[in-house]
Order: sequence, then C-alpha cells, then structure tokens
Amino acid sequence: MQFFQNTHINFIGIRKIGYIISATLIVISLVSLVLHGGPRMGIDFTGGTSLDLAFAQSVSASELRNSLSDIGFGSAEIKQVGLKEANEFIIRVEKMEEGTEAGQVIEAELTQDFPNNTYEIKSVNEVGPKIGGELGRAAILAVLISLLGILIYISWRFEFKFAIGAVIALFHDVIITLGIFSLLNLEISLAVVAAFLTIVGYSINDTVVVFDRIRENLKVLRRETLPNIINKSLNQTISRTIITSLTTLIVVVVLFLLGGEVIHNFSLALIIGILIGTYSSIFIASPIVLEWQSRADEKKSRSTLLHKSR
Amino acid sequence: MQRSYIVKVVLVLILLIVAGYSLYPTFQLSGLNRKETEFIDKIDSLTRLNKIEIDESLTAGDLEARIRKAASGDSLNDALASAAELLDLSAKIEKIEKRAIKRGLDLQGGTYLVYEADLPQLLRNVAKNKDDRLEDIISATKNTVEQGGDDFFSVLEENFKSRNIEMNRYFGRKGQTNQDIIQELKDESQDAVNRTLEVLRNRIDQFGVSEPSITKQGANRIVIELAGVTSIQRAKNVISSTAQLEFKLVQKSDIIWSILDDIDRVMRVKQKGDALADSTVTQSQADTAQFASGETAKDEEVSLDDLFGEQTEEVEQDTTILVDQNTFSDKPFTALLRQIPGAGYIAVPLQNVRAVQRIINLPEVQAVVPSDVQFHFGTEATVYGEDRFERLYLTKKEPELLGETLSDASVQISGGTQSLRAGAPYVSMELNNEGAKIFSKVTGNNIDRQLAIVLDGKVASAPVIQTKITAGSAMIEGTFTMEEAQDLALILRAGALPAPLYSITENTVGPSLGRDSIKRGANSAVIGLALVILFMIIYYKAAGIVADFALILNIIFIFAVMAGFHSTLTLPGIAGIILTVGMAVDANVLIYERIREELKSGKTIRAAIDAGYGRAFTTILDANITTLITAVVLYSFGTGPIKGFALTLSIGIIASMFTAIVVTRLIFDIITSRYAIKKLSI
Repeated sequence: MQFFQNTHINFIGIRKIGYIISATLIVISLVSLVLHGGPRMGIDFTGGTSLDLAFAQSVSASELRNSLSDIGFGSAEIKQVGLKEANEFIIRVEKMEEGTEAGQVIEAELTQDFPNNTYEIKSVNEVGPKIGGELGRAAILAVLISLLGILIYISWRFEFKFAIGAVIALFHDVIITLGIFSLLNLEISLAVVAAFLTIVGYSINDTVVVFDRIRENLKVLRRETLPNIINKSLNQTISRTIITSLTTLIVVVVLFLLGGEVIHNFSLALIIGILIGTYSSIFIASPIVLEWQSRADEKKSRSTLLHKSR
Repeated sequence: MQRSYIVKVVLVLILLIVAGYSLYPTFQLSGLNRKETEFIDKIDSLTRLNKIEIDESLTAGDLEARIRKAASGDSLNDALASAAELLDLSAKIEKIEKRAIKRGLDLQGGTYLVYEADLPQLLRNVAKNKDDRLEDIISATKNTVEQGGDDFFSVLEENFKSRNIEMNRYFGRKGQTNQDIIQELKDESQDAVNRTLEVLRNRIDQFGVSEPSITKQGANRIVIELAGVTSIQRAKNVISSTAQLEFKLVQKSDIIWSILDDIDRVMRVKQKGDALADSTVTQSQADTAQFASGETAKDEEVSLDDLFGEQTEEVEQDTTILVDQNTFSDKPFTALLRQIPGAGYIAVPLQNVRAVQRIINLPEVQAVVPSDVQFHFGTEATVYGEDRFERLYLTKKEPELLGETLSDASVQISGGTQSLRAGAPYVSMELNNEGAKIFSKVTGNNIDRQLAIVLDGKVASAPVIQTKITAGSAMIEGTFTMEEAQDLALILRAGALPAPLYSITENTVGPSLGRDSIKRGANSAVIGLALVILFMIIYYKAAGIVADFALILNIIFIFAVMAGFHSTLTLPGIAGIILTVGMAVDANVLIYERIREELKSGKTIRAAIDAGYGRAFTTILDANITTLITAVVLYSFGTGPIKGFALTLSIGIIASMFTAIVVTRLIFDIITSRYAIKKLSI
C-alpha cells in the first residue's frame, strides 16, 4: 500500500500561497493575543488556587458561589465538569498574598455550609505568586534555550541558512498554536508549555528529514537549481512526512479523546502543533532556505557588480 | 547464519533478559498491590476503621491493637486474620518497591508541598537593631527578588551599598565587612533549612507513607512529597507544628527488667493459651528476664505466627523474625531483643522492629506496663558488628524539661579533658534561667542516670548525667563523629526556628483521580498502540510486522530503564510514552520509504535494504538528536510532572534509534540471508 507515488507537486511554485496562509494565521493569532491581553496563563504561572471537588449530592454553582462570597471569594471561577450526576466542580481563585491558604479556607467553608453534602477532593493545586512567576520565566527560558540549541546543531550539521529556515518555522508553529489557544480561550498550563516544547521537537524532526534530503540531493544533482532540488526533495520525503504525522496524530487523538480532563489541553496543543508542524516543514522551512539563499545571491551579485564598475 | 548475526542476536537477547530482570519487581508489585487493596477493603468492611486509618496503623505497627478496639465477635477474628496477612504483604511490598517503577503522586494520589525559608523574617530576627531604614531595605530586596531578580543575598548587599549603609550597623560585629556578614547570614539561613529538614524527616513516619520524600531544593526550599496523603490540612498540621523537644529520664534498669519480664509473661500466656496461664506466671517470677548479647545470641528465624500463637500456614522468608533460640519459648519478648555491651539502650534487630511494635501496642501488654513508663525508639538505626539495630528506650512518661527552655546548642571541639581527648567534638547547650533551675535539680537528683533527648517522640541521644549542672550550660560528651555531633546540636536547636517557613506551592491529588488517570492513561496507550500496529501492518505488510516488533521492544526498554533507575512514572510520563509510540515508528518509516525508493530504482533486495538503512541512518540521527535537545532542555527546566514527560520521551527516542536501526536491520539480514526472497513484502 502506498499513498503517495511519484508525486510531482511544485511546492516552490506555490510557496507564495503558503506564505499568505501563514501570514494570515499569524496575524489572526497576534490580533487575538493582543485583544486578550496575552495568552491566558493558568494558575501554574499566575499563582492562585484551584480545587476539583466531587460532591455527594447535587449542588449548583450559584449555591457554591453564595457560600464562597461569605469568605470573600465571591468572584471565584466555578465550573462544573464531567457528567452532571458527578456533581464535580472546579473552583479557582486568583493569586493572593504569599502564604494565604485559600484552599483550606474554602474547604473549611464548604464543609461548614454544606454539612449534609460531603465532597471528595479530587485535586487541589495552590501556587504562590512567586513560584508562578519563576515557572513562567523558566518556561520561556526553556523554549529559547532549546531553539538556540537547535540553531547551533543545524548550523553545524547543515548550513546557517537551514538553521534560519528551521527556527523561523518553529516560531511560526508556536505562535500559531498559541494563537489558536487564545482564540479558543484555553489556558496555558505547565503541561501545555511541555506540549509546546514537544511541538518544537517534533516540527524540527520533520524539517530535518527534508533538509537531510536536500543536502543529499545537492551532492548528487550538482547541475540542478536550488528550487528544483528543494522541490524534488520535498516530493521524495512527502510520503514519509505524511505517514509519520499520521501515526503520531493517531496516538495523540486517542490521548485527546480518552486521556481525560487532566491532559485535555496538553493533547489538544499536540494535535494542533503536529498539524501546523507538518505544514510548516513543507511550506515554510524549506522555502525560507531558498529565500535566504536568493537574498544572499542577490547581495553577492550586487557586490560583484559594484566591483566590476570600479 | 553468519557469525556477526549471532553476536548481534545474543546482544539483543541479553538486553531483553536484563530488561526482564529489571521489570520483574514492577510486575510482581502490581499483583501484590492489588492483593493489599483487597485486604484493606476487607478489614474496612469488618471493622469501624476506615482505609486511611488502616493505612496509618500499618506503618505505625498498631494495626492489631486498633482492630481489637474497632471490631468484635466473628468479624474481629476475620479482621485479625486479614491483618496478619496484610502485615506480611506490606513487608513484602516495601522490599520490592525499592526496585520497581515508582508511581507519581498524580497517579497514586498524594500531596506535594514546597516550603521556603522566610528570609526577610530571618533578617528581622537576627538584626541587632531594627528601624525604618532596615525595613525599607528588606522590603525593597523582597520586591526585587519576587520580580525575578537575583539571589536574595546579593540583592540585599546591593541595596545596602546603593544606600551607602554598612551592613554591620544592623548585623554581625562592628567593623565586619559586608562580605563576611552576607556569608554569616547565608550560613544562618542554611542552618534554619537544615534544622527544619531534620525535624521533618524525623516526623514523617507519622504519615504512614511508604516512600516519603523530603528534599532540599536550591538554597532555601524544601520539597515534600507524600504519596497517599490526600489531606493537605493533615499534612500541614504535622509539618508546620513546631518540633516537640523533651528531656526524659530513662528508667532504672531494675524497673526495665521487671517490665520486660511482665511482657514475656503476657506473651507466653498468649502463645500457650489461657489454660496454662497460672502455672507459667509463678515460674517466670523467679526467673528474671535476660537479654541475649548481640554476639552470643543463637539466632533462629521463625515465623511471626509462631510468636503470636496463630495458625502457621506458610512460612515465608519475608515475614520471619530473628529470635534467640535459647530463650524463645520461655521469654517470647526478650528473645526479640539484644543487648549491646555498654549501650544505654535495648537493641532491636531491624527485622524485629515491627513485631516489637506490635507487641508493645497489644492491649494485654499495655495493661501490664506501668502508667508512668513510655517506650521510645531512637531517631535512627545503629550498627553493631555486622547488624543494624533500632534503639529502644524505656523512659518516664513525664518530661523533666521541655525544649523551650533551651536557648542555644552548638558543636565544640574539646581542648582535651579527663574524659575527652583533645580535638574530639562535643555538644554544648545553653539553658535559659528557668531551664537552668529545673536542670540543676534534675541533674542533682539523678547522677549516673541517663537523660534522654526526645525529639517528636524519638530519642536522639541519651547521655548519662555525670554531675549536677547549676550554671545552665551543659556539655554532652560521647564518642561522636563530627557529623553526629552536628546532628545532635541541630536537633537541640530545632525547638525554635529563627526563619519561619511558609508554603509556596501545594498540590494534592485524590486517590480516585489518580486511579482514574492510570486507567485512562493505560487505555489510551493500549488503543493508540494497537492502532499504530495495525496501520503499520496494513501499510508495510510483513515489514510492518518487523517494525511493530521493534515498537513493542522499544516500549519494553523504556519501562525497563525506568525500573532500573527506580524512576517515577507520571501521567505526563505516560503521555510521553504514547507520543514515543507515534514517533518511534518514524525511524522505520524513514528506512522503509527509502528501501521502497531503492527497489523502484531497480536495486536487488539486499542492495535496497543496505542502501535504505545506510542512507536513512544520518537522517534518523539528525532528526532524533534535535528532538533530544528539546527533551533534555525540558528535563532540566521542568518541575515534577514535566520532568516525567521529558524523561520517558528521552528514553523513548534513544530506545527507538536502537530498535529501529539495530534490531529491525538484524531481522531483515537474517531473513534475507536464510531464504532466497524474490519479492520484499514492504
């Protein structure tokens, strides 16, 4: 069985269409991010408290809110999750002063206000503002360091122009995934950042496979022009790119459907990232290499012209 | 088959055997855990105890006593029988657990807490004089650090410098340099964190957690992980209560003997049945208890059931205890204990500790122990000869002195005295006025007796009182190593912490969510794996089967490496494995696509396979190394759950390179060399 046999798609010819699509997606992403005042960060980064409680008997969100307003948490975000019969609620409050123990205050209040309706604690997460800020910085640093590491490795193994293509494609992937999260008003948790880094790793993997083929073809087909070599390489690797994306997508979709609430956003980020990453390794990374090369050629020819005129 | 293949096949087989060996405990453990839950459920249903209480008393060693209080009649007997089996089982689990994959807190339920030393408060506490300027500097420092600034102390030094204020106005001695003062303050904060660590480690047994983890993170943070503890409130109550330091007199030896004697009598009665009770009582009164010495004991291993006079079914190695054969039938309790010459405590061989705890907690035994006597174990095990022992002390119940009366304790180096050679460390402690008065009375009245230093119910040390101490300043001598002396001083100072701790992160996962996560994670993994396997077979036919074989091998290797390093599996970790499944086939896809191309260009099967593997190799290497870069960065920057993800992902990437490049190649080579294949099923 084979999906793609002897394809002759002129990827380089249609690269402008790719640029337009990417530019549109990036603009939409940035606009959404600006309108929402940046990505919606979860309490892992902002600090705050989140409780996941399953009540024994039915209770409504407004009853819970009434109870919480007695202790000054009337503005808490209260969301029912799971099946209606499960009576499971996620209660979240914003960051507070260091050392305030919102989780316990809320637990105590609910126990007192609903004496006949016991609840089971599914999870409690309390993050101080300080550690939240630290985690945020660590996450940004982690993304930057891995980008730098990739830039260095690819410059070493290939050429600098390839590294530029790869890193631009990665920025492209992360910005669009962030944008989609922002559009869907989903929260960035620590796990989602991990997913972003995985996307970086995955997308680079795809890109390197294509680059590798370009490098090989550059040696074999010395007379061909760069656009033709890139086109040929993309067509030769398209089958593998699609198959691998497919197998990875299969497992991630399964994870999204069956993995449960805890890793829902994580697997969603991966799904988006894999799709975007596959697209960008074909339509962004390699064309950028070409653009960079022609820019350099132009400069070179200009400088030779200057030399000649002298 | 060619020679080189045989070497490779043997290599792969050896790896598989090693993997199997490394995975066996994990495999065994899952069965035992299931059994344990069954027993706990059973006891839960038979008694008034709930699961948490059962769990707690399992570690505390008083399960039997509590069951007796919480049940009656037939259900009591059933519950006791289950309890005995449960105890055996949990001892076994404890042993195996150290060699198995750990489940993360998010999978088994538990509490994760991060505490930080309150450095601003520390400064306020140690400052010589306090004014608005100092307060201003402290709060400015605090703000800068919270905005993502540098290390607290370097910011502090900067702030003093920029205001042109010498630090010695507030800290240290006159004329001392800023640098020296900063160093001293750093030492002070380190000391505070270390003392707290010591206190917490000592206390953590109360939780009934099999593998509690208390670690220092960075300079002034403490990370506490308590698997199975799901009430933050309870955890924090134990953690944040101040350490209870008491000084208690150790009972005189004749009283200790007679108590041990009484316990022996009770146990003998328990063993032989009530009918014989009277006759044995008279006999034992004439015959005082005596220990076997640590060296001469004729040790014999017997089953716990022998001791408790219950039906013995199967004597298993893990549940045996060490008793002195000479005295076992006559003195069932003292037979479990050992005497070490010159030691001021009773030595309990480690494997007997549970049994001794069980006996001490038996209601019958409690009835014969005088009400002013208390049993205390030592803070840590001691080594004598080749064996390890827990120290057991019998002290007065009422403390003579409380830790609050202590003002300071430190390690000093002896200049050489009658009893202490020069250069030997000793611990000196200072008491406040009130403490000095009491201490003078206690030491005066009890010369030559031992005074136990008890921290949170455990004896740190029990020095002998040599003279009456009136000045409120005492020396504790002993054959301390420097480290031991420091630990003791640390414990003595634990009463009042100069830098309070506050929690900066708390995370609790309930057991039901943990179970749910495991189930969901396992389901997704199995279904995802099945789909990928199916896809590969449909798309690549026979070659797909080879790739699937490599995939399964890959997963086995991931788990084996995790078990080998006793790593923690978290839910994100499972996600990492699932993602690896998707990505692991990539290497084979690359190779197979290449082989197909080579076949199309008219190469022979052997040549196509050679070219496919050869050409795909650099691609696989480059692609995987870049992915590995991000995984490693993720591991070093991430916290708990993210580390778990990065770990499985990294192991998976490396394992997939091995299985795809070496193992599948081997299979192709063997097949093509043995059979004359005309058409490759790919």
